[in-house]
Amino acid sequence: MDLVIGIGNRLRGDDGIGPSIVEGLPAQTGVTCRVVHQLTPELVMQLVEVDRVLFVDAAISGEAPRIEAVCPRPHSGLGHAMTPAALMDLARTICHKTPKAWLLTVPGIDFEFGERFSPVATAHLPEATHLLHAWLAGSVPVTT
Amino acid sequence: MEKQIHIEPVTRVEGHGKITVFLDDAGDVRDAQFHVTELRGFEKFCEGRTVWEMPGLTARICGICPVSHILASAKAGDAILSVRVPESGILLRRLMNLGQMVQSHALSFFYLSAPDLLLGWDADPATRNVVGLVTANPDLARKGIRLRAYGQQIIDRLGGKRIHPAWAVPGGVNQALSKEDHAWILAGLPEAMETIRETLDLFKSAFVSEEARGVLSDFDSMYMGLVAPDGSWEHYDGLLRIVDREGNNVVAGHDPSRYFDIIHEASQPWSYLKFPFYAPMGFGTEGMYRVGPLGRVNVCERFGTPKADEELEAFRALTTGRSGKVFDYHYTRLLEILASLERIEKLLADERILSPRVRAEAGINELEGVGIHEAPRGTLIHHYKVDQNGIIEKANFIVSTGHNNLGMNRAVQEIAKMYIQKGNITEGILNRIEGGIRAYDPCLSCSVHAVGQMPLDVRIVDAEGETVKTLTRG
Repeated sequence: MDLVIGIGNRLRGDDGIGPSIVEGLPAQTGVTCRVVHQLTPELVMQLVEVDRVLFVDAAISGEAPRIEAVCPRPHSGLGHAMTPAALMDLARTICHKTPKAWLLTVPGIDFEFGERFSPVATAHLPEATHLLHAWLAGSVPVTT
Repeated sequence: MEKQIHIEPVTRVEGHGKITVFLDDAGDVRDAQFHVTELRGFEKFCEGRTVWEMPGLTARICGICPVSHILASAKAGDAILSVRVPESGILLRRLMNLGQMVQSHALSFFYLSAPDLLLGWDADPATRNVVGLVTANPDLARKGIRLRAYGQQIIDRLGGKRIHPAWAVPGGVNQALSKEDHAWILAGLPEAMETIRETLDLFKSAFVSEEARGVLSDFDSMYMGLVAPDGSWEHYDGLLRIVDREGNNVVAGHDPSRYFDIIHEASQPWSYLKFPFYAPMGFGTEGMYRVGPLGRVNVCERFGTPKADEELEAFRALTTGRSGKVFDYHYTRLLEILASLERIEKLLADERILSPRVRAEAGINELEGVGIHEAPRGTLIHHYKVDQNGIIEKANFIVSTGHNNLGMNRAVQEIAKMYIQKGNITEGILNRIEGGIRAYDPCLSCSVHAVGQMPLDVRIVDAEGETVKTLTRG
């Protein structure tokens, strides 16, 4: 069972690219999709029920979409917004279980109010979608 | 030389604010103020929109309390449509509000406040957060997270999503409860009940002494909340009641649609958050009242459910009259989770909750409407005036954090006086001041209709008004 989580705010320009990609994914057996504004501790309960998870998020740096493995890592952030690594660490600590996890990042440049993507983010969409499908097929070249 | 201490930003609350502590020449606390430093102006830009849009629009005020605004807005819309909401629609709205109560209180207790309680007021701020809590007590953290997720799932299953569900509308709700979702909510109750039972026992094992409960100050005020006609705890409808510290009724049961007879609002130049007060006693200490879990528990005669009533009896036995302890916001928050779970069980046992008839349709029949219910943080008021076509001409929101503004400022003053002497300030003292604010679980996003998290500034200013020390966190 796979879980794909799109992270971001659809009303903040390129920040909505993760949700947009995930919502555009056709329904398929064995894959659960979620769209969230931010990662919160409750997501742990869904994480521990799957074999693999892919977080899809906009990035403020980078030249191209990329996928990297996510390892559990403690994070001393505020109460209800977390990083993928911190969420994995929470799962490991309280449930003693973690799925294999990856993060797909898509570079963006405009995070102001609005529902449109910048030309930069728009240009990255095909490659990001390709990487997502490759990950689902289990054949993605992962950068670690 | 007088000094001022500023705490900025306040952490683990919703929104942005800061605290200023004024010291006198001896370095003792002369005064303290809790400032809310953001402004969004939702009331203004709702003008010109239709009454039907208001639940969805006002839900965007906040990502934590959208359900509360949706319900208050829908109720104001009911009044403008002048409709009677079908019984099933009312039951479903109640169910969603109870789900909101569970998830919001669980967030406040387990994510935001438990680190203070379990790791100690003097713990390093770097570890005194939910991550530190997880490390110290992973089992409690897991249960707290699951309890919040349960409340969120109730909202999700009713409204289609857990944040900003466009579900409650003027006249009712737009979707009935399926048998599958009914069964899921019912199946989750035993675990949720067990979690709150264990948490309450743990809490009571450590925090019922006068010393523990007095750490965030104890002062007189009035309390306000809705009560049912029989005086029992109420969260969706009922009458406005105000009691004094002794538990005597100041206002036994006021028509909520005429809240303005007894509640007026004042402004201060140093905060964007308005200061509601009990009008007959005037602005300031005399007219100060508090709302939220402590307010509701203090105004009600009973919860009306067996387990919560048993716990209420134990809580009341700790105090003569009504509790004025800020720390008891935490205690009563847990009591309300228990009561909410018992109420959810009762609602699910009512077969009318599965009826498909959930909404009454009507046009504009009144030009003014008030919607009031109890949000987790306290009484929430939406008041609209519309034209013949249902276009909003004026909107007024009074949210729980506003009702508690005088109380939060008083708490900051009292805690500062308890822990700051001769200008001596430590991190632990700042934690307690901040904890006093956090106990109210303020949502500054709602209260000034502002967005974001709430870091805390503390600033110390001398008698000439010069800042001599600033501590910033967030």
